[in-house]
Amino acid sequence: MRLFWELVLTSFHRQLAYRAAILAGLATNFFFGLLRLAVLVALFGDQIAVEGVSKQAAITYTGLAQAMIGFLSLFSWYELMNTIYTGGIASDLLKPMGYFTYWLGQDVGRALAQLIMRGLPIMAAYAIFFGIVTPNSPAQWVAVVISLVLALLVSFSWRFLVNLAAFWYPNALGIGRLAFTLSLFLSGFLMPLRFFPDWFQRICAFTPFPYTINTVVEVYLGVLPRDEVILSLALQLIWAIILMLAGQIVLRAGIRKLVILGG
Amino acid sequence: MIKSLLLYFRLISIQIRSQLHYRFPFLLDLIATGFITLLGFLSLVFVFQRFGHIRGWTLAEVAFLYGLVDSAFGLMDMVFSGFDPQAFGRKVRFGQFDQMMLKPVNLTLQVFSSEFILRRLGRILEGTTIFIISIGLLDMTWTFGKLVYLPVVYFSTVAFFGGLFIIGATVTFWTIESIEVVNIFTYGGTEMMSYPMHIYQDFLRRFFTYIIPAIFINYYPALYFLDKPDPFNMPEYAYLLSPIVGFGILSIALAFWRVGIRHYQSTGT
Amino acid sequence: MENMTPIIHVSKLQKHFRLQRSRRRHWSSVRNLTPKEAAIIRAVDGIAFSVEPGELVGYLGPNGAGKSTTIKLLTGLLVPTGGELSVNGFLPWRDRRKYVARIGAVFGQRTTLWWDLPVIESFELLKHIYNIPQETYRRNFNDFRELLELDTFLDTPVRSLSLGQRMRADLCAALMHDPLLLFLDEPTIGLDVVAKERIRQFILYLNRNRGTTVILTTHDLSDVEKLCERVMIIDHGKLLYDGGLSSLREKFGGKRELVVDYAEVYQNPLIEGAEITEQLGARVTYQFERNVVTASELIIRLSSHYRIRDLEVREPDIESTVRRIYEERLLE
Repeated sequence: MRLFWELVLTSFHRQLAYRAAILAGLATNFFFGLLRLAVLVALFGDQIAVEGVSKQAAITYTGLAQAMIGFLSLFSWYELMNTIYTGGIASDLLKPMGYFTYWLGQDVGRALAQLIMRGLPIMAAYAIFFGIVTPNSPAQWVAVVISLVLALLVSFSWRFLVNLAAFWYPNALGIGRLAFTLSLFLSGFLMPLRFFPDWFQRICAFTPFPYTINTVVEVYLGVLPRDEVILSLALQLIWAIILMLAGQIVLRAGIRKLVILGG
Repeated sequence: MIKSLLLYFRLISIQIRSQLHYRFPFLLDLIATGFITLLGFLSLVFVFQRFGHIRGWTLAEVAFLYGLVDSAFGLMDMVFSGFDPQAFGRKVRFGQFDQMMLKPVNLTLQVFSSEFILRRLGRILEGTTIFIISIGLLDMTWTFGKLVYLPVVYFSTVAFFGGLFIIGATVTFWTIESIEVVNIFTYGGTEMMSYPMHIYQDFLRRFFTYIIPAIFINYYPALYFLDKPDPFNMPEYAYLLSPIVGFGILSIALAFWRVGIRHYQSTGT
Repeated sequence: MENMTPIIHVSKLQKHFRLQRSRRRHWSSVRNLTPKEAAIIRAVDGIAFSVEPGELVGYLGPNGAGKSTTIKLLTGLLVPTGGELSVNGFLPWRDRRKYVARIGAVFGQRTTLWWDLPVIESFELLKHIYNIPQETYRRNFNDFRELLELDTFLDTPVRSLSLGQRMRADLCAALMHDPLLLFLDEPTIGLDVVAKERIRQFILYLNRNRGTTVILTTHDLSDVEKLCERVMIIDHGKLLYDGGLSSLREKFGGKRELVVDYAEVYQNPLIEGAEITEQLGARVTYQFERNVVTASELIIRLSSHYRIRDLEVREPDIESTVRRIYEERLLE
């Protein structure tokens, strides 16, 4: 257990070294947030609220979405894939902890650093320039934190699975790109899922992706009644478990292939 | 001149041949690239069903802007691949640019022909399709002037983004840190120019009117093509500024590029 | 003897770099330097030499001495801060395209060929880039493919070549356009003894049979020994030595080493003329000065006192010779 937290801390510290890149990332986040904000506000027009989301909440949403990019590594994450290609996986598998746990620990450290160094500044900037919506009660804040943790679990388990494709394909980067695009599309990153047609939302619900960003956003903005909050958190947990199990199964198959073929 | 073009095509064809070597994965990659950008547009389509219009512009009208920018950017991305700031920065750091300096060929041509990422054709196809569909849906009045001016606007957009790429690549002669900021102008610029300018906050719009005049690249021409009134009271000829801005930025970029090469020769890596 | 114009003429050549201020402000270390000193690195600090056509010159120096900077100045990659520079009648950095068409350059660490292309296709591309007449191309290609034994891997992409094969391909590529001057930077680095020898033979052929002027930078003393009659040594941006290799050796060679594996372990196998620097069981390392005793004399003395199983004579490497030259101010 202590090994896990040590991993988290080391990974966290490693992120702190990329200060210049983080600043550049912040500027990018802010700019894109601005664009998305303008589009949403323009779409709203004179309406005060759409699908239970107020204009202010929609503005807050664009900031949240940007904050989540770094936290959940939404656009790409190929670190594991690379260790399979470079052979670093050999030493990773020999480490005294589960392979999945090993990578999870590193991701938690990374995610925390991103949350603090990018996520919070974005929200602060938004609060200053545009004013944001914040949770009303401590209970809601607790729900937000739980949702963030679960979202990271879902996101990481998915990224873990995608990277395992490297066991079978010499160039799984294309697969990775498609996978990430798909997950972005169905996660409520570009627009809150509520604004999409009902049939689309139903399709999304059959995938784990809404349970990354969309759930966190909805819990944060308080657009869900209490029992739906609990249901959403439960679904996050269920999907996290499903993906983790799938990851274990695929990992085992992948290792078998690796050992047999000596890739 | 002819010799240079011939050499360019020879060097490009090497890239293309090696990328086409595995035909099926390439096709997959091509479709994926188009698919990725298409999804972005689909989100817009779906959301429009709920909202109907965006500050007076219909989906088809937005698609006109969106498709044009996407297609032009895709073409730029494919042709100017050598100047992609991150890729070029790597070439400078790893000595490949030095290798170019040791060959008796124009440096700019060498950089242009150093990369040619064919799969970016996917974005060109996606953007062009959206654009053509939008024209089909819109009830536009076509004049001879509009027909002639359309390709001008298209290539001015390509030139505009190409100029931004070249500027970004030149910056890597000085530093590779924070080079991702260039993405704000290229990918951010594409995103921004895909929507009508009047939806943006004043300060943002003014920045892209007076400092980086992106507004003249496609928005004002769009007003002209779609016969829409100008909400900002610019002079009447504003829609004609597209090639001036586009190729102007490209010229400035190339001048900066030459400065960058001089600087590199003075200081090395 | 005809008075030929030198193919390289360098006079009071200088290249200064401005020190970039690092992000981390280590004030303590900066305080020690005066403002003027802190600002400039004199990579090349007033070098002068001439190279006649047809020479084969070794250019030596420790890392950071200014070797690669000089080569970059000579090949047009860098602009000098001061002094005169003329190569083949050109000012390299200014007349880049015209100049570069008449020289060849091979770098041990990096290839000039296209990574994914079969070697032969790289050559054909270079034919177009250098505008090589078909006749010249064919003649050179046939010559080099035989001399460098390229036939076995002409159709192999460069990325799949071994280091030795890549080196030979790079050499051929650099010479297709009949350059008058060839810059070789670490051409034998990382190669096995046989491959090294092959490359050296080829360089000799180039120089003796084709009259190609060769500037060779290397850390490998055997390269220098076997190829160069003339040697230039640079350190701290200054040219310390410009002359024959043998006289360099004689004057500054420094202490040589004799490593002996004795048949039994001797307690203190002292000998006149040499001192013991290391003793590990039956292996003893002696140090001796070449002007005090020759290696063969020393071996005779030792074998008359002790039973020797095996031995090895070690020359000081160029690094330590140069360091010695500089530290002991032997050339000032």
